[in-house]
Amino acid sequence: MKSVGVRIAFWYMAASLLTLGCFFRVGRFLLEQHMIHSLDLGLASEFEQVKRRLGPEAADLAPAQVAERLALNASVRYLIEVHGADGRVTYRSRNLSDRVIPDKAMQGHLVSLALKRFFQSLKMGSPQQLPADGRTYNAIVGDLGELRIAEYSAGNLMIRVAVPKEQVRNLVVAYQEVFYGMVILMVIASSVIGFALSRILLRPLRQIQATAIQIGSDNLGERIPVSTVEDEISNLARLLNQMFDRLESSFNQVRRFAAEASHELKTPLSLMRLQTEKLLTEGGLTPAQEESLHVVVEEITRLNKIIEELLFLSRAEAAAITIVRKPVDPRTYIESFAQDAQVLADSRDVRLTHMHSGDGRVEFDPRWLRQVLLNLLSNALNYTPPGKRVTVTSQLMPHTWRVAFEDEGPGVPPAERERIFEHFVRLAHTAQHDKGSGLGLAICRSIIILHQGRIWAEDTSTGPGLRVVFEIPLTAATSAGAVTPRTS
Amino acid sequence: MKILIVEDERRLGQFIRKGLSERSYTATWVASCREARDALCETGYDVIILDLGLPDGDGLALLKEWRQNGFNEPVLILSARDAVQDRVRGLDLGADDYMPKPFSLEELLARIRSLLRRQATSKETVLEHRGVRMDLLARIVTHQGQPVEFTSREFALLEVFLQNVGRVLPRTLICEKIWESHYDIDTNLLDVYMSKLRMKLEADPANPLFKTLRGVGYQLL
Repeated sequence: MKSVGVRIAFWYMAASLLTLGCFFRVGRFLLEQHMIHSLDLGLASEFEQVKRRLGPEAADLAPAQVAERLALNASVRYLIEVHGADGRVTYRSRNLSDRVIPDKAMQGHLVSLALKRFFQSLKMGSPQQLPADGRTYNAIVGDLGELRIAEYSAGNLMIRVAVPKEQVRNLVVAYQEVFYGMVILMVIASSVIGFALSRILLRPLRQIQATAIQIGSDNLGERIPVSTVEDEISNLARLLNQMFDRLESSFNQVRRFAAEASHELKTPLSLMRLQTEKLLTEGGLTPAQEESLHVVVEEITRLNKIIEELLFLSRAEAAAITIVRKPVDPRTYIESFAQDAQVLADSRDVRLTHMHSGDGRVEFDPRWLRQVLLNLLSNALNYTPPGKRVTVTSQLMPHTWRVAFEDEGPGVPPAERERIFEHFVRLAHTAQHDKGSGLGLAICRSIIILHQGRIWAEDTSTGPGLRVVFEIPLTAATSAGAVTPRTS
Repeated sequence: MKILIVEDERRLGQFIRKGLSERSYTATWVASCREARDALCETGYDVIILDLGLPDGDGLALLKEWRQNGFNEPVLILSARDAVQDRVRGLDLGADDYMPKPFSLEELLARIRSLLRRQATSKETVLEHRGVRMDLLARIVTHQGQPVEFTSREFALLEVFLQNVGRVLPRTLICEKIWESHYDIDTNLLDVYMSKLRMKLEADPANPLFKTLRGVGYQLL
């Protein structure tokens, strides 16, 4: 039930079945009432016949006379019982043999009673066709099953006429069978209709989805088509479009800022550097002056690096950086990186171990990831004293690729471990080699997040030191624009 | 050699023009897209240095227009926007090289020389200089006749130097050639490799093979 379409189809089917069930119940009641009404008519006419046969002196007849007069009218269908003035049975029709017609109505079905009351309140109940002093009711008599009984008084006699309700029951059973057939047809028809309905209902939503998938940082100008009709879905689309407008303008702001800041800051830096170098090449300086100018050039380079890193972070945080994923074998990638890492470690007199396990490919941007690896390596080297070891572990797991850098430096207290990924955060015991900007780990985190991965710091498995681990999924998550939207 | 400089910052444009003139290039400086179009229509240039942020348009659009109209002059993009995307887009649109600001004059000159030389790349398979002999096919390096062991990175680095004997090679240019990226400049990786090359090839410290230009790059003497 993960799809709204399936849920709509399901609810539509349930509602149709419920409606069908209600109609069936009401229909059955009305049918039953109709049948009972015709039974009652039959009972009334049978009573009239009995009365006619007994004649006007009915009250004075002896039981034998009653039997004699009524015997002529030996109806098979109707059961007749005549009670004398003293309440005793004076006659019982032959088909009744020794059975007694009960004088108590059996409890009706609750639903039927409710329906009866409802229809009576609507004045739709069948009009009484019976004499004013008669009553009708239902009762069950042993092997005869349910009977419809009418009780009348003629003079001081009380006459009960009854008829089996078998006919009614048979009709109801047949009606029910038709109903079950209808249920099956209804399930099929309503699921087909429900499915079609959900497709039609969800079409605008699918359009919204398709457009939303297409809108990435490269084409923020796209908008969801809005129908002219004012309804909930077009309102939603309008709302989303307004959101995209705001998003686009803030994206553009970030981009403009990045471009303008670059230009405004770097052009003067270029001039500073060119002028300084001019002084250096023209010569005639004391060694101390020359050294000062070299420091200026170095600081210009450092400043430039900080500007670039800040701009990178601002663009990455606005998701304005495009990642070009390529399938790469992590084993060869790590091997190639380790070649350079080894050289850097050797120059610091730090031992380097690297290992990789698992075969397969990972989709990532090799250039950006190289920067992550280099940043993590220089961090590890900066904090590891000479003679100690840095360990790089690369592991290809079923869904992720995990790389860990472990150093034997002083480590970072647990409370600080999340902070080291923030901008310009440096710890108290900054190593002497560290000439970084304090943005390296923040950049690593941005790049890893752009790859839908995560990066964190933890304790090393052995002794002091820090272990920085990142994990990226083997392939781009489907939500991240890797899906090719279906065009409808 | 005629060079067109398209740069909107007056002082920077004039500084480059002066710097190039001192190295006996004929440099023209213009400050807008319109002037650049006019200049290119009037006369041919050997290299065009193009800044991207111009007051009356985008340098990339100008480059695209030129390439569509059949102007094949080598173009060196000079830009403050150092996002990788811009770099890739610039090269895709037909730029021949891309240099981020800030830069040193030596680096600009090195890149211009490299552009001018591009048409005539030597196809030699054996490079030799001051007793260092490099066989590109057999991948063997000998020094004074003695074979020297090289890792693949060291080999690639030495090849870049032997193909540019006597020229200043800026750090950015070397890193782009060896690692296809410019992030490695942040580390001292290049310096470490250079010291390895020196250890293997410089027999006499008084007579160095490589010259370090502080903050700029290296030069094979």
